[in-house]
Amino acid sequence: MFYMLLRHRDVPDINQIDVYQKNGGFDALKKAIKMDTTDVTNEVKAAGLRGRGGAGFPAGVKWSFMDNNNWPHYVVANADESEPGTFKDREIMESNPFQFLEGISIASYAVGANAAYIYLRGEFWEVAHFLDEKIEEMEKAGFLGEKIQGTDYSLKIYTHLGAGAYICGEETALLESMEGKRGQPRVRPPFPPSQGLYNKPTVVNNVETLTSVPYIISNGADGYRKFGTEKSPGTKIFSLSGNVNNPGNYELPLGTTFRELIFTHGGGIPDGKSIKAIMPAGASSSLIVANDEALDTPMDYENVRNVGADLGSASVIVVDDSIGLDWLINKTMSFFEHESCGKCTPCREGAYWMHQLTKRIHAGEGTKEDVELLKDVATQVQGKTLCALGEFSTMAVVSSIERFPEDFEAKV
Amino acid sequence: MSKEVKLTIDGKEVTVPAGSLVVDAAKKVGIDIPIFCYHPKMEPAGMCRQCLVEIGRPAFDRATGEPVMEEGKQKINWGWKLETSCTNPVSEGMVVLTQSEKAKKGQNDILEFQLTSHPLDCPVCDKGGECLLQDMTLAHGSSESRYRFDEKRHAQKHVALGESIWLDRERCIACGRCVRFQSDLVGEAVLDFDMRGAKSEIVTTSEPGFDSVFSGNTTDICPVGALTTANFRFGARPWEMEATASICGECPVGCNTMLDTRRDAKSGGKVIVKRVMPRQNEAVNETWICDKGRFADFSNADRVLEPAIDGKAVEWTEAIGAAAEKLGAAKGDAVFLADGSLSNEDLYTMKVLADAAGAKAMLYSQVGGGALTTKSGSYGGSGAGDVILVIGGDLYKEAPIFWLRAKQAVDRGATLIVATEAETRLDAFATTVVRDLAQGLEAAKKAFAKAENTAVLYSGDDALAQSCADLNPKSLIGVWADANTQGAWEMGYEAIADLSALKGKTVYVAGGDLLVAGAVEAADFVVAQTASMTEASQKAGMTLPSQTVSERDGTFTSGERRVQRFFAAVQPMGEALPGFIITAQIAEKMGVTLEGVSAEVVFADLAEKVAGFAGLSYESLAVVDAEERLSIGGTCYENEQGLGAQLSAVSTN
Amino acid sequence: MLVELLRGLKTTFKMMIAKPVTIQYPEVKREVRPRYRGRHELKRYDNGLEKCIGCALCAAACPADAIFVEASENTDEERYSPGDRYASTYEINFLRCIYCGYCEDACPTEAIVLEHEYDVTFSTRLEAIFPKDKLIVPVPSNGKVTPQQTEPGTFTRSVPEMKDPTK
Repeated sequence: MFYMLLRHRDVPDINQIDVYQKNGGFDALKKAIKMDTTDVTNEVKAAGLRGRGGAGFPAGVKWSFMDNNNWPHYVVANADESEPGTFKDREIMESNPFQFLEGISIASYAVGANAAYIYLRGEFWEVAHFLDEKIEEMEKAGFLGEKIQGTDYSLKIYTHLGAGAYICGEETALLESMEGKRGQPRVRPPFPPSQGLYNKPTVVNNVETLTSVPYIISNGADGYRKFGTEKSPGTKIFSLSGNVNNPGNYELPLGTTFRELIFTHGGGIPDGKSIKAIMPAGASSSLIVANDEALDTPMDYENVRNVGADLGSASVIVVDDSIGLDWLINKTMSFFEHESCGKCTPCREGAYWMHQLTKRIHAGEGTKEDVELLKDVATQVQGKTLCALGEFSTMAVVSSIERFPEDFEAKV
Repeated sequence: MSKEVKLTIDGKEVTVPAGSLVVDAAKKVGIDIPIFCYHPKMEPAGMCRQCLVEIGRPAFDRATGEPVMEEGKQKINWGWKLETSCTNPVSEGMVVLTQSEKAKKGQNDILEFQLTSHPLDCPVCDKGGECLLQDMTLAHGSSESRYRFDEKRHAQKHVALGESIWLDRERCIACGRCVRFQSDLVGEAVLDFDMRGAKSEIVTTSEPGFDSVFSGNTTDICPVGALTTANFRFGARPWEMEATASICGECPVGCNTMLDTRRDAKSGGKVIVKRVMPRQNEAVNETWICDKGRFADFSNADRVLEPAIDGKAVEWTEAIGAAAEKLGAAKGDAVFLADGSLSNEDLYTMKVLADAAGAKAMLYSQVGGGALTTKSGSYGGSGAGDVILVIGGDLYKEAPIFWLRAKQAVDRGATLIVATEAETRLDAFATTVVRDLAQGLEAAKKAFAKAENTAVLYSGDDALAQSCADLNPKSLIGVWADANTQGAWEMGYEAIADLSALKGKTVYVAGGDLLVAGAVEAADFVVAQTASMTEASQKAGMTLPSQTVSERDGTFTSGERRVQRFFAAVQPMGEALPGFIITAQIAEKMGVTLEGVSAEVVFADLAEKVAGFAGLSYESLAVVDAEERLSIGGTCYENEQGLGAQLSAVSTN
Repeated sequence: MLVELLRGLKTTFKMMIAKPVTIQYPEVKREVRPRYRGRHELKRYDNGLEKCIGCALCAAACPADAIFVEASENTDEERYSPGDRYASTYEINFLRCIYCGYCEDACPTEAIVLEHEYDVTFSTRLEAIFPKDKLIVPVPSNGKVTPQQTEPGTFTRSVPEMKDPTK
């Protein structure tokens, strides 16, 4: 089993700097800082690395959007990881931190940043302390700090903790939070590569995205493209959870089917139940009916759309037939109502309204009109919000009512 | 010349400067897109999502940059979702639809969301009748609600934010206008949101609460009844009141106001002033007034109701006769003493009488150097490259709107030098702060040398005024204590700062109660022409009741030398007469004929005789042409009564 | 000839013995219909609190400008109505009133109701203006007189919870 990102499963103790160095660690960084910065960006562009935080935006393209008339530049690693069902970044940071830090360093070099930040969710304070130690080790070994490896390039990496808000995983809300303000998204445009942290050009990338960068530099775009599909190259860590026998993180090439992930690696559904629905992007997904067509769909950014969902952060939650979807959407709506930042009207009021409806329906006090109203309200929120939280909060609701009407007919 | 952009909104073509917002461009062709969080005087926030419209942009080929054609015309790429018109700047060839099916549904949907937890308070809410949410719902919303009444959120309804403002958290629609006004526009971030999501609420972050002299303005811009003033609580319904234009009499800025009046049962059926509201005048106060003016006391406590000699009430004819006799007899020992609370007409009539009678016309003012200020003009609109010096006093306490203008000038790039002995609230915005006045003058001298537009706002004696004048600024503005002190300077009144100099004189004093009390203490005999009296001032030998600003027509000259009209809003109390009429009647008895009926005629005379007022008349002061009417979704009144006029510069002799 | 005379007087004699339709007003008053629009009354709740919240919507709706309302704030020591606001001044000028009932339609709390009294008289213009104490109904038997002293925290909703009229 080849591991590009979860290397600790091959090489135990790779979170110790000497072990990491013995296993090819920092070779990519050493190579990159001797390259032209545009060449580094182009290599990542050519490799087709797509953002692993959920949006799937090509990382190299994002780096090339940085405004070169506005300095200084910053790189921010988004370690907020608050999507329900996502737990991949934590494993990377705890078990293979140096590859992550190396990825940040290469990205910073490519965009000309001399300061990089890791924004971690507030609940990750232990992880943050751990990363602080690793950064110090890296500095001592001469891979961070002033004049790295005898070049003119200097870089310092800092960790920054959030305070328990899912919305701070949205990149502009994250930047607001880092600046000490309320964590609420900004109006976009302008986007962070032109005006980001303190209104300076900033690249915000997910932890997994940055951890993929060293492999690309060491093995080239072609080496990276050996895995995955043409439009979605590389490997992805799938966080499998829900009604499966073996939940956990699985690093697989993009294009692996749902069936392989859930049944081969995940060990199938426990207690003899059968699979009913799949949520490929955590709580923000549309639910896919788990029929054969869906199970045989390759998991990449294009094919999942064909079955009516988005791959997102690939936090695959499996739902079996013992779960009533009225209960499920009540859970997701309770989450989104709690996490809505309250800045824009449709999400703030819409999430509250939808939650009142799901509560009623789940308690058996709803009517058929209530279910229709719920779907209508969810549709009404779509397309009007300031950021994606409001948009995605409606996905599970609309898809459940449309694709699994029996669950709701039973409750009214 | 700034670049111009042409776009089409609802089929109408409009050309606006580049960088304008779609919502502003729409207003130019008379299309009112519904808004809540947008305000033309603040940066757009894009929070409420009410201004959703369909926007299409002309298509260009990504690779070649050539326009993509379709059926002979350039193809329009429509956004896949509705966009907020307040955050989108215009672009060439843009096509906007504000009333299409999709846009109308979007606007209706957002209103439905706003109304879900908004309480059914219209009958008891002070904002009812002037509420933006009500207006938007009638224009763009539905009449039926799909939301269950008992699932509505509840929150605190009667929260005191400081002493003057009540907050109702249930009504708040989280538009953020109040927070942005305080932190961005005024620079005093005393309000903020607390908690998140549906639990968001407004809190005050200062101790004492809502510690800002501009707090009342948030009740104007709040689109619902969440922020209301305590002094007007449940006062009257907006449609029950009549609005009359006036000028605030609290300080020399001369903010344009509207006095809302109504018949009042509690005061025996008289028409009284229920509240003070701002009136738009971009050159003076934009759309704001400070709390000193907004919460000014119109209660008419201690009003003088009838003429009196030695404390005994008499008829007007008797009082006039006795006053004329006393003043005539005093000859050279007579002093006509005024303060800046009198109107231009009052001051002028007094001055003419004083000159004719060979008596002195004196102005009581602690701030000196008025004669030096007659060259100056307004300093509003300062920006990059300009320098402002504020020296001697606390502008925040003395003339808050001047303070706000200075702060906004700094936002636009002006240099601000603050030279005061004590700390002031302007320090935080100043480029340079010195605690010694002489140093301040030095610093200003250096800065003025490199600047185009310069202004000095001073609060001090003649010597300070002279030092400031020596800097040769474009505008020299004295921060007087009263609204019309500038008018008195223009007419040539002599300054007096220490009233003990009145010893042995017969004084005809016209002005506020404090002035009268001071004169009573110092002078031999006092004829007091005043509106209110307290124990100290009642000892005057003769009392002649005069009317207040809200009871008559007249004009004030602001500290920036701008003449503005105010109008009668209520009936006079008791037997009070306008000041100039009293003076004219006394003059008649003393053998001097002066206009004693119409304020307009007095002003016409004044305009002929006093340099600086040349060419002005009541008619010219009532012109409202050039000002842009802001559709601001707030309760600031549009100005239909007059913008006033700037006095022409007069050389100092 | 006699026959013709009797035939002509038939109706007269019939009427002589028929019961008269005249109602002996004012000793006997005819019943008015339930929705008859007579003089206004300001209603109270069963606990004695006034229903009127001083919103002046009746004054706004009145086509004859016959109503004058001034509102004031309730305190727990001196409470007139549930909620924040009550009408401290309420006057109806019956020379202006046209008994249309628009005020009754506009009232959000069913406080102003046109009752059945139609014989409203006065001899001067001033007497035609009925102040609140002539319009308000007496306190019901299980209620307390207003102003009342109430426990803080009991009447916090500014508009009292209304029952759904369609149910």
